Amino acid sequence: MLDAIDRALLKTVAELEELPKGAYNIRKNGKLLGRHVSANINIETNEEETGIIVKIKPGTKNESVHIPVILSQAGLYDVVQNAFIIGDDAEVTIVAGCGIHCGSPEPEGHAGIHEFKVGKNAKVTYVEKHYASGEGTGRRTLNPTTRVFLAEGAHAEMELTQIGGVDETSRINEAVLGPGSLLLITERVLTDGEQTAVSTNTIVLKGAGSRANMISRSVMKGNSKQIFYATIDAQNQCYGHIECDAIIMDNGTNETMPSLKAGHPDAELTHEASIGKIANDQLTKLMSLGLTYDEAVNRIIQGFLK
Amino acid sequence: MLELNKLYFTVPDSDGSGGVRNIIDGIDFTFDDGKFYVITGPNGSGKTTLAKLIMGINPVTGGDILFNGRNISALSITERSKAGIAYSFQQPARFKGITFRDLLMVATGIEDEGKLLEILGRVGICPLSFLDKEVDGRLSGGEIKKIELATTIAANPKLAIYDEPDTGIDLWTIGPMVSLLKKELAENHTTTIVVSHNKAFLEAADVVIIINSGKIVYNGSLEGAMPLLDDLSVCTYRNSCEGDRDAGCYR
Repeated sequence: MLDAIDRALLKTVAELEELPKGAYNIRKNGKLLGRHVSANINIETNEEETGIIVKIKPGTKNESVHIPVILSQAGLYDVVQNAFIIGDDAEVTIVAGCGIHCGSPEPEGHAGIHEFKVGKNAKVTYVEKHYASGEGTGRRTLNPTTRVFLAEGAHAEMELTQIGGVDETSRINEAVLGPGSLLLITERVLTDGEQTAVSTNTIVLKGAGSRANMISRSVMKGNSKQIFYATIDAQNQCYGHIECDAIIMDNGTNETMPSLKAGHPDAELTHEASIGKIANDQLTKLMSLGLTYDEAVNRIIQGFLK
Repeated sequence: MLELNKLYFTVPDSDGSGGVRNIIDGIDFTFDDGKFYVITGPNGSGKTTLAKLIMGINPVTGGDILFNGRNISALSITERSKAGIAYSFQQPARFKGITFRDLLMVATGIEDEGKLLEILGRVGICPLSFLDKEVDGRLSGGEIKKIELATTIAANPKLAIYDEPDTGIDLWTIGPMVSLLKKELAENHTTTIVVSHNKAFLEAADVVIIINSGKIVYNGSLEGAMPLLDDLSVCTYRNSCEGDRDAGCYR
């Protein structure tokens, strides 16, 4: 069922060597390739047949769902709308990801629109990796959208990574936080050559005592360009922090626009942003431990995007 | 083991006259194997510049550096590290996403957990949780200096250079730090060069070297160095202790 290219893509974006244990839904070239549900996790195609609905039963503990998408069909732009409904008190890890293999001059792309409704005191860890490969010259596009709604006391940790090979990406992350909820987003994007990446983030701290931390790590190699927008909109007593660091290599460019809006007197909002080349003292330190200049650069970037 | 022959480091004059200034001004000196050297001198005298010339962080303008008979003047930092020289920075670099464990692995090539723990024991760092701490801006000045010292020692150098290792370290840690460097010298025969004004290091030195205006103006025992250290007003805090000779420091 899985060919060599499929396996390589799945390994990269979902760390899967074989079909996973537990619930999964694998989509290949816009069609269902395989699905498995568990006692606590149900997956079904939505009414419009535009995606899946993943339902996690309340109180589910330590389970995981894998929902990778792989593309290797020339000329295809696959749009999918997935919903995740996580019951109260559940604890679950969701591993998504999209791998594109482009073997022709035809473009290929994927837009994954993911909406999360996280129930009271539920905890979700969401890991999403995007990657493209292949000898073809076709343009590879990935436009993920993630919308998160956190109920009272809910906790979401999201790791969003674009590892390489994607020519164009427009990433949208939106979240609305209920009372006492917590959102941690870490986004890592590496671009090279003539690639572009735009990331637009809007976090609304609606409930009292809600907390959000948005971390962005960007590396621009070649002539690539990245633009990062992040807005925290505080509407209650809450805490929000944005940390965005960008490392420029070669002739890469970057624009970073963190924005804080305090609509409540007890909102505490902070941000830190930096753009620049790799610091000389870091390179010198690693070279003094025996690495060459190139090895030191790789080690620093590897750690930064870890 | 380390010979400096007519060593110069020159920079353009800052007054825009087009002239040059010798930061290191023709130093001739031989460091002997397995000895503990402390380089001291007034601020801006060239101590750190000299240490950086030896590590290859600053390029040599004139003269030669011989390390165990081999001319290393043109070698890169990496090549000097591989030849057995290690350097501990006064202001250590901070990295996002790189842990103490990562740095130790780079310094030693060791990945085995047990062996890394042995190194922690050797450098006197106790809590194991330290190993997976990121070497970033959240570390205190004292913590990052301990990590800096540990990576230098872990590399098992033939020659270890420490630039002001006591900066940011509390008074109670300096004694054990001196003992640690002495122990490394005794057990592993590590020739040690410390740049410092600190009394504890000066007292531990086999040889005190005083640099002033880019020249070595003294080398020998601490006792012999005292009159000169007084004259040079090495201390930058002299005003606050009003020059009291019994203030208990040799700054």
